[in-house]
Amino acid sequence: MADKINLIIDGKQISVDAGTSILDAAKQNGIYIPTLCHDDIVKVYGACGLCVVEGEGMPKLMRSCSQKAAEGMVINTSSQRVVQARKVALELIMSAHEGDCKAPCSLACPAGTDCQGYVGLIANGEYDEALKLIKEKIPMPASIGRVCPHPCEKACRRGLVEEPINIAGLKAFAADIDLKSENQYIPQMEKETGKKVNIIGGGPAGLTAAYFLRLKGHDVNIYDMMPNMGGMLRYGIPEYRLPKKVVDKEVELIQNLGVKMHNNVKLGKDISIDELRKNSDALVLAVGAWKSSPMRVQGEDSQGVYGGIDFLRNVVLGNKVEIGEKVAVCGGGNTAMDACRTAVRLGAKEVYIIYRRTRNEMPAEDIEIKEAEEEGVVFKFLTNPAEILSKDGKVCGIKLQKMMLGEPDASGRRKPVEIEGEFEEIELDSVIMAIGQKLDSFGLDNIEMTSRNNILADENSFRTNLDGVFAIGDATNKGASIAIEAVGEGGRAAIAIDAYLNGIDINIRKPYYSERNVTAETLKDKEKIAREIVPQLEADERKDNFTEVVKGYSCEQAEKEAKRCLECGCREYFKCKLLNIANLYDIDPDRFAGEKPTNYDGKDANEFIVRNTDKCILCGLCVRSCKEVMNISAIGLLSRGFKTDVSPAFKLPLNETDCNNCGLCVKLCPTGALTERNTMDKQVPLNEKYVDTTCNVCEKNCSITLAYYGNKIIRVIPNDETSRNCHLGREKLIEEVIKLK
Amino acid sequence: MKIVVGQGSCGIAAGAAKVYDGLNNNLDKSKATLTFSGCVGMCYLEPIVDIYDDDKMTRLVRVSENDVDNICKFAQTKDYSLIENITISKDDEEFLTKQTRIALRKCGIINPEEIDDYIQSDGYTAIEKVLTTMSPEDVIETIKTSGLAGRGGAGFPTWFKWNAARQSQGDEKYLICNADEGDPGAFMDRAVIESDPHNLIEGMIIGAYAIGAKHAVVYVRAEYPLAIKRLQKAIDQATEKGFLGKNICGTEFSCDMKIKAGAGAFVCGEETALIESLEGQRGMPRLKPPFPAQSGYWNKPSNINNVETFANVTWIINNGGEAFAAMGTENSKGTKVFALTGKIKRGGLVEIPMGKTLRDVIYDIGGGIRDNKEFKAVQLGGPSGGCIPAELIDTVIDYKSLGATGAIMGSGGMVVMDESTCMVSMAKFFLDFTAKESCGKCVHCRIGTKRMLEILERITTGKGQENDIELLEELCFAIKDGALCGLGQTAPNPVLTTIKYFRNEYEAHINDKKCPACECAEMLTYSIDKELCKGCTLCAINCPVKAINGSVKTAHEINSEICIKCGKCKEVCKFSAVKLS
Repeated sequence: MADKINLIIDGKQISVDAGTSILDAAKQNGIYIPTLCHDDIVKVYGACGLCVVEGEGMPKLMRSCSQKAAEGMVINTSSQRVVQARKVALELIMSAHEGDCKAPCSLACPAGTDCQGYVGLIANGEYDEALKLIKEKIPMPASIGRVCPHPCEKACRRGLVEEPINIAGLKAFAADIDLKSENQYIPQMEKETGKKVNIIGGGPAGLTAAYFLRLKGHDVNIYDMMPNMGGMLRYGIPEYRLPKKVVDKEVELIQNLGVKMHNNVKLGKDISIDELRKNSDALVLAVGAWKSSPMRVQGEDSQGVYGGIDFLRNVVLGNKVEIGEKVAVCGGGNTAMDACRTAVRLGAKEVYIIYRRTRNEMPAEDIEIKEAEEEGVVFKFLTNPAEILSKDGKVCGIKLQKMMLGEPDASGRRKPVEIEGEFEEIELDSVIMAIGQKLDSFGLDNIEMTSRNNILADENSFRTNLDGVFAIGDATNKGASIAIEAVGEGGRAAIAIDAYLNGIDINIRKPYYSERNVTAETLKDKEKIAREIVPQLEADERKDNFTEVVKGYSCEQAEKEAKRCLECGCREYFKCKLLNIANLYDIDPDRFAGEKPTNYDGKDANEFIVRNTDKCILCGLCVRSCKEVMNISAIGLLSRGFKTDVSPAFKLPLNETDCNNCGLCVKLCPTGALTERNTMDKQVPLNEKYVDTTCNVCEKNCSITLAYYGNKIIRVIPNDETSRNCHLGREKLIEEVIKLK
Repeated sequence: MKIVVGQGSCGIAAGAAKVYDGLNNNLDKSKATLTFSGCVGMCYLEPIVDIYDDDKMTRLVRVSENDVDNICKFAQTKDYSLIENITISKDDEEFLTKQTRIALRKCGIINPEEIDDYIQSDGYTAIEKVLTTMSPEDVIETIKTSGLAGRGGAGFPTWFKWNAARQSQGDEKYLICNADEGDPGAFMDRAVIESDPHNLIEGMIIGAYAIGAKHAVVYVRAEYPLAIKRLQKAIDQATEKGFLGKNICGTEFSCDMKIKAGAGAFVCGEETALIESLEGQRGMPRLKPPFPAQSGYWNKPSNINNVETFANVTWIINNGGEAFAAMGTENSKGTKVFALTGKIKRGGLVEIPMGKTLRDVIYDIGGGIRDNKEFKAVQLGGPSGGCIPAELIDTVIDYKSLGATGAIMGSGGMVVMDESTCMVSMAKFFLDFTAKESCGKCVHCRIGTKRMLEILERITTGKGQENDIELLEELCFAIKDGALCGLGQTAPNPVLTTIKYFRNEYEAHINDKKCPACECAEMLTYSIDKELCKGCTLCAINCPVKAINGSVKTAHEINSEICIKCGKCKEVCKFSAVKLS
């Protein structure tokens, strides 16, 4: 029996064997000390400086990996000094860590959808897994995939090569397959909690919150003023872009989970906030922004002047809207496009877009503008309504002030300036004002509002001024935005509300991610591959009806398109120890921004192991394990100072070393500097799961770990000395990978 | 008559070898014998030739090949007028007479390649005394009495390390000498090895006896080829004479010695990195604990001391610990060798008792600032040390007083700076050195020093940002606290001390985009003083970018838009009309 050492760590009296390090002593007693360079399999090293702890009466911080526990020590593992030291160490590490934790598409998605993940899965033909991954963030992907203005695609680096990946289209593709299948995906639900959540508003925000809260096992009720659920997805987007039956199916799936839906219930009239608060544990306001903003021009109250969203809603509801033959739509956004194209479909002969800037400044999607043009819409750029002309109280035309572009404004767009005295008049039967929408605050009497008269909700906790009342979506803070923003808020709010229901107060903040600065120059050597064109109706086929314009990808097309993905995000994202630890501390590496390593050319790889030295944090685990455990030393440390690098001797490529592909270095690498190819054709970051088993390739019965995703084995990881040195099982895997190449 | 030519690396670089060859070819050997010594430490006077005639020694300085004839004639005639013009001046003699030499006592006097020279000057008496009359504990006790502390920089009590290694369990122990002298501007250890290698060997054998080591290693940087050559020769001679190897001085005690040439990494001066390098590994520090005394070279108890530390041991044994302790202050005993360099009149090796002041060294021995400029600061301890400003020139030289200023005693580098030195650039220079020499192992040193350097880069190029000083300070403290070894932990010292004493210079760079010392080129403006300019056109002719306009005999003008601040105009102007601001 070894001698026992008694010490105190974080106020806890503990006893460990003599010779135990403080790090191990803490670990044995459930106290977590972060480290990036230590592993029991190799000797202590002490490079990362994260495992420091403070000892009472000791002037300097100690590295707990090397400092042995001594009798009577009083150790603090999380004093302010310790936290500050770790924070600075992490900031320094991150300041020299060049890589993308997540792909730019995913970071750009307001809902944080793992775009690269599902695009990659589609590329591998794993449509079901792609859909599951999408549904981790978006409960209505078939709808969103059709209407989303896809900030992901704007961020897509393929765009720097030729054209971005059709990420939204691929989302709709995966979702449509699921909707058409007999066994639609139903996620695992947690057991009933007995807690009740009321949600006002059944649009994208409310439905998303409902979906995720229901999955957490809460009893969820949605109240909505309209006859059917879907909110603006249903009433603000025309049928030809998003067929109602798609919305119906996706709403139904949410309903099938047990979300109770109550339609034709209007806040302030049929129900009140007080009432809904009283009969629930939490209330979510997701009421949207359903009032068209006025233009404040003379003649606005004439008969034949409609609000953009009011017009679209009435068309959906089947209400007769008198627009006549000559229609002007004021505005340059997507609602304006929806309105003008709907007007075309309703039979208007002359449809104008009145927009005070030029096409370059239009916020509407380019494709929408293009398709509107194809359908015969006339764009009156650099004009602004000066007066709506009327005769007997009925619209008869519009007087337009001619404009020119001046200096850029705060948004960076050039500001339109009136050209004095220059006007134009157009004869019209109706005018649609699609210049914005705002909250109808009816029934929100006790809710604190912003200066713009939106609901004031905390951006990280979604709390309003009333306890237990949360607010999300278009009705809050900055006002109306795109659907995916509402979905994102719904998802994050569900986490915050679930925590609230469990008595925890949380703030959901954007995690820290390392991001690369990539330009067209960086990607100049990438092969150009044209974007797969989605089949769709021609202008003549579509402009007199509400049939969906876009037909969607075939499987072959979808896979081809998905394979264009440049695989920006780090493959080790889900396992990255560095990122996990970095997010435990409130780090700001930009303080120390400076030179970063930029050596990675993707070339230092054998068939199996890929080394990206730009991500290397020089913890030395690979070098040490290769030497100390495997006795191979295929790689070593090179150069000095900031230029220190891990490399095979003489900078030879890895496949000219004695590397036996045991993969121990990949397993130990705390970040994405070392990765191995898996059995997926298109490599994609996956949150793989593991199972320990015995290899049955030969009679040695080595201990191995299988990494799998869905029902596919994607990696074989040796676990003991024999498997690392024999790796017949891995060799089979390697063969498979090489075949794929 | 004996003629001795000083042939340290410095002397050879100044031309001593040619002088020696000239004398060797032309001297009438019946009148005078010719030999050489190492380096006496008067770098600014090299090459140096000492002439011994009976009891009189005449020192000739800045001797060139052209003086060989006269020296040869002097050997014939003893006519002192022949060598009068190269005889050392009274003033220059003070450089040595004001010193107290213990570690350097035989440097520049004996022939380092002749063991007999060493033996004749009481050499190898200490080891004989130790082996025949003293127990290892007695030796350690004597060293304890002397108060000798590590001269490599840290100043750790030598007896304590020896005792720890002695007490450490294990039959195999190693004694290691750290001769990986890497501080820019430091050359004390080189001088000792090149000039008196046997003194080092003898000190090491005594140390080996004290801790119980049978093997000794000297780790010398490969950039010291002459030192390695002379040391190897000395080891061979000592082995032959029975001072090394089996049964030293006929006793039971045996100890061998070898040299390991280091491949020139500064970090290998750090003791655990040195051990890694000795073992054939990449020079990177090990974590402490365990300390080398418990587990060092080949995981055996090992003791590592610096060259100068060992160089004091024989004197202490021969003269007693009390005699050594009689010199110095309360907390620092004995003497310390400094390599005095920079903007000083007399540069070279200075050995003084602890307790003298910086003024004593810089003014009394060093003769003050060159070109009668204003003394601004002195950098002690090289890149690991700090600067001490002019107002603290009366600081006493001992570990405690120097440490209190933010600088350190260090291994002995003493770089003197005058008014024309930009302190931010100076800090940048040293940090650039440590950042490049970082082994790359720990995060704080590898990335932290790089980031500090980047901040200093932007400050000295006029791109400094508002809170750069605070950011630098934050990084300094984080690196001091977090770096793995002495290299990283001390790397911020030059920055911290310059911020402490010359914060206004940092602020001028950052806020006013001005370098007060007019050293940072990117922030300078060159202009021509119209009063002084004679219109000679020399500047305009020499300007590589044709930024200077003006016609003959009229004042010229510099177009600052075109000027690349190369300084050529200032260099060529004969009327000092080109001004910097």
